[in-house]
Amino acid sequence: MDTVIDTHNVFKIYNEKSIPVYAVNGVHLHIERGEFTALVGPSGSGKTTLLNMIGGLDKPTGGYVEINGQNITKMNSNELINFRMRNIGFVFQSYNLIPVLTASENIEFIMLLQKVNKKDRKKRVLELLKEIGIPDKGNIRPSELSGGQQQRVVVARALASKPAFILADEPTANLDSVSASNLLDIMEKLNTEEKMTFLFSTHDQRVIDRAHRVITLQDGKVTSDVPGKEGIASDRILEHKK
Amino acid sequence: MIIKVAWRNVWRHKTRSAVIVFSVMFGIWAGIFMQSFMNGMVEQRVRTSIQTEVSHLQIHNPGFSKDHDANYFIPDGPAFVKTISGFPQVQSVCGRVIAKGMIATSSGSAGIKINGIEPAAERSTTQLDKSLIEGNYLSTEGKNEIFIGEKLLKKLKLKLKSKVVLTVMDKDNNIASGAFRIRGIFRTQNTPYDEANVFVYGKDLSELLGTPGEIHEIAVLLKSNAALDSTCQKLQSGWPSVKTETWKEIAPEIDLTVSVANQSFYIFMGIIMLALAFGIVNTMLMAILERTREIGMLMALGMNKAKVFYMIFLETLFLVFCGTPFGIILSLITTYYFGKYGIDMSGYKEVYSSFGYSEMIYPTINLRDYRIILELVVATTIFSSLFPARRALKLNPSEAIRK
Repeated sequence: MDTVIDTHNVFKIYNEKSIPVYAVNGVHLHIERGEFTALVGPSGSGKTTLLNMIGGLDKPTGGYVEINGQNITKMNSNELINFRMRNIGFVFQSYNLIPVLTASENIEFIMLLQKVNKKDRKKRVLELLKEIGIPDKGNIRPSELSGGQQQRVVVARALASKPAFILADEPTANLDSVSASNLLDIMEKLNTEEKMTFLFSTHDQRVIDRAHRVITLQDGKVTSDVPGKEGIASDRILEHKK
Repeated sequence: MIIKVAWRNVWRHKTRSAVIVFSVMFGIWAGIFMQSFMNGMVEQRVRTSIQTEVSHLQIHNPGFSKDHDANYFIPDGPAFVKTISGFPQVQSVCGRVIAKGMIATSSGSAGIKINGIEPAAERSTTQLDKSLIEGNYLSTEGKNEIFIGEKLLKKLKLKLKSKVVLTVMDKDNNIASGAFRIRGIFRTQNTPYDEANVFVYGKDLSELLGTPGEIHEIAVLLKSNAALDSTCQKLQSGWPSVKTETWKEIAPEIDLTVSVANQSFYIFMGIIMLALAFGIVNTMLMAILERTREIGMLMALGMNKAKVFYMIFLETLFLVFCGTPFGIILSLITTYYFGKYGIDMSGYKEVYSSFGYSEMIYPTINLRDYRIILELVVATTIFSSLFPARRALKLNPSEAIRK
């Protein structure tokens, strides 16, 4: 299998010169293509900080991060922006769609930054809207969509750039159970059918229950790395088949 | 798409944007209208000055400009006047006998410039007769009559038909005097001019100076100011022994007024645009603050700093340029209206006339002023977008997203 995410002894220390706070403390993480992984842990355990470093939004104080074999820690800010645009899909907790653009335009926006031609952009937008189950909502602005629909558009936007993986920071935190379940169905489908790699930071048991791998962080350190319920189930099926 | 986003962002807070748009509109209107008012005043001053005082060109003996000695007359002056009057670009021309002297009465005296004129030629060149307010303009056959300004008349406590004595230095540097009777009283828009100039018959003054048949000054009125430089060059190269000067050289204070008016436009508009810029910066900073998370998200997705700057610049540009056309249109309407009917400043007549300005102002505007407006608007936009853009560019996407 291909390694998509590889963190090498990554540290993030705040207040290094006064009272150092180890937000992330020597994390080694290895995520292969097609994994559906949940990063769990209590608040302040370093989930979001680690996710930000993996996503190239933040730089580690020590160690380095490799994405698809490229050391992104060495990259300057412009290289990182370009790298993020082409390799990483983001799904944020609070939707973060551009309110003045329609759902279609929000999905299309990142492809414009990538300079994809108009015909291909339009085609991809239609495909993605269909894939997330709201083909008829393309011309609607985010404020007129439900929370679940907005988060689906966010997923479509993350997929639009054809990234190597998707980082999702508490994607279901603001959703009711039906919307959360629908969103997870879409993500699982993408994972199964398109081998899209997902790395979630979450507290949500619904997400943890569906993850194939659950990594627990505590005080910035990985305290456990086990197959999730779904992962265990898959392993059992495989063992049974053997 | 960035253009679309920027445009729609402007209208996210309609009231707030509308306030800026209206501010820009009124700022531009105020600046242009103020300048059109200034233009109207200055153009009228220049026009009056050329048509009634200095004419487009003046020709003197080179020595006369330094020392108003009676001997510095123009060689073959009357013949030269005839030659110039044949130029196609010349509307009219007149010769003058000039002397610096003194006017004296029983009640006082004053230093003055005495203009010895040929009344008909002077009428067609400076429209002096139109300034008459009492009595009569100088006739063609009169003798020892004087045409005097109202201001000087009052200063010397004179009245129509009063006798005055003019004293000058003749060609031999002897003092020569002559008695003159007031035939007419004039009033121009330029009070200082009225106080400093009197007009007599050229032949009378020539007799006093002892230079019969000679003239010291030729005033040339052109059909158009556009022919000013070419005609001046033609005269300078054709008659190098005399000194030909344009109105700009003869009355540099008027040319300076034109320059000051032009520069003042930059200053007026600069102040207005600077005040507007602070309002725009404030609005844009608020917009950036409100959209911190959104901008952080855009940067996280892959929008580079240049594109973020471009988006903020465009938003500022749209804000400013939405108001600009309305401001220009409003200024065109008001300038057209007041340019046609005038603005009556007769309440300040004394002040205006003491500086040579008319009490009726007809505002006027030209293309150059609009070019300046556009330059200043672009400069304001760039200036106003710098601070908000800098604030946005300093955002750390990972922190901004959490806000």
